[in-house]
Amino acid sequence: MISIKNLNKSFNGKLVLDNISVKFEAGKTNLIIGRSGSGKTVLLKSIVGLHEIDSGEIWYEDLLFNKLDFAGKKKIRSEMGMLFQGSALFDSLTVEQNVRFPLDMFTDSSLEEKTERLNFCLNRVDIINANNLFPSELSGGMKKRVAIARAIALNPKYLFCDEPNSGLDPITAILIDALIKELTEEYSMTTIVNTHDMNSVMEIGEKIIFISDGVKCWEGNKNDILSSDCGILNDFVFANSLAKKLRKVSK
Amino acid sequence: MHTGFKNLINRNTINISNFEVLKYKRMIKFLIQLGRYFVLLKKVFSKPEKPVLYYKQTIREFVFLGLNSIGIIAIISFFMGAVITLQTAYNTENPIYPKYLIGLGCRDSMILEFSSTIAALILAGKVGSNIASEIGTMRVTEQIDALEIMGVNSASYLILPKMIATLIFNPFLTLIAIIIGIFGGWIAGTLAGVITSENFIYGIQYAFIPYYITYSLIKTVFFAFIITSVSAFQGYYVDGGSLEVGRASTKAVVYSSVLILLFNVILTQILLS
Repeated sequence: MISIKNLNKSFNGKLVLDNISVKFEAGKTNLIIGRSGSGKTVLLKSIVGLHEIDSGEIWYEDLLFNKLDFAGKKKIRSEMGMLFQGSALFDSLTVEQNVRFPLDMFTDSSLEEKTERLNFCLNRVDIINANNLFPSELSGGMKKRVAIARAIALNPKYLFCDEPNSGLDPITAILIDALIKELTEEYSMTTIVNTHDMNSVMEIGEKIIFISDGVKCWEGNKNDILSSDCGILNDFVFANSLAKKLRKVSK
Repeated sequence: MHTGFKNLINRNTINISNFEVLKYKRMIKFLIQLGRYFVLLKKVFSKPEKPVLYYKQTIREFVFLGLNSIGIIAIISFFMGAVITLQTAYNTENPIYPKYLIGLGCRDSMILEFSSTIAALILAGKVGSNIASEIGTMRVTEQIDALEIMGVNSASYLILPKMIATLIFNPFLTLIAIIIGIFGGWIAGTLAGVITSENFIYGIQYAFIPYYITYSLIKTVFFAFIITSVSAFQGYYVDGGSLEVGRASTKAVVYSSVLILLFNVILTQILLS
């Protein structure tokens, strides 16, 4: 479980995250939703320690992450996997080398064991016969899946996904969502997904927080979201004309 | 910005001109950048997580930054040696100058200045821009963030192998530049008929001071460190997109070149005085 308490973050004097408090539960797909520029990515990067926070607390189980030294953070980071918006695969490495990288860096397993784990991860995300391809030779969906394979290579306890569906068609996006949900349940990970895609919200949103202008405005799940009385959330959820019509009909 | 400094430049309390405000701001910005540079170096020289992976990276960098630079260094040195020989010949046509001085001039110019300083300036363009753009692109595409999330010391993993490769390989490039430069001088001098082969060979052996080679290699090591660290610094702290990566690449070449020229003066004074 990851708990955030009274988190504040500003850039050049401008408050980007304002007193955020939330608990992300283990074995569930936790979603952070909000409009572009609302502070979702800053929140996610603050949680993983890529941004130093101004004040507040970030707890990983019973460890206060933001007060740990480099070695302490490194220990927790070895239990993290992250899927970046642009996949962030290493350009100079092949698919196989990308997924093998964390295994080479942090394990003392034999070559056979690493190859076995590598093949397992690639099969798990349905990447077949692409081991020797470079990231530039992959489609957007394949890049995301390879990035997921790399993220789960070390059996992480925590999985972070920053806009996993950006730039993907709706069908591929749903497949990626389903994969994230399956992996979360399979390994009982604490998964946090940043998204503004309503398809993802309705597919995998077991716990959802809605952020607007750096403030947490709403918290719930996919069943509550359609009946919320939060005005800004409703504007976000029912943004397109089809959703507006459906809402009118249901009323 | 520090509160004390803010008060200092507050024109309501202290009457100072816009120019002075700008001057202080630039000074503070420079000191901040200098501090970040040394913080980065501290990260670079920390203990590697898995030495075997760093070794593999270093071998890769030997190829990319070292072996791949031999061609350009060879071409430039050859023509540099040729031009030095011809210019020396046409400026010393007076019969009181012995002809072998042309060979001697070519040798000393190549050893003292061209093989180290000019080669370093060329490498600042080729290797420096390559390092800045590679690391800068990794920054803007979140590849460095991905390394950090895994718990890898990204600065050390990305920069240290490049530094080791250039510090070891650039002295070899300097030696190659000296040999090819003198060879180019010999070819140009004899083909143009400004000096005989015997005179040139006598000249390059005449009053040879071996310490000049040591001096040139010491300078090369310093210049290699400047090129790699300054370029890596520019790339590592890129913030933005492709436009900023391009700017970082340009800055890497400009700053490296200026520092090379500055340290050339300082090292020459220290090593030859």
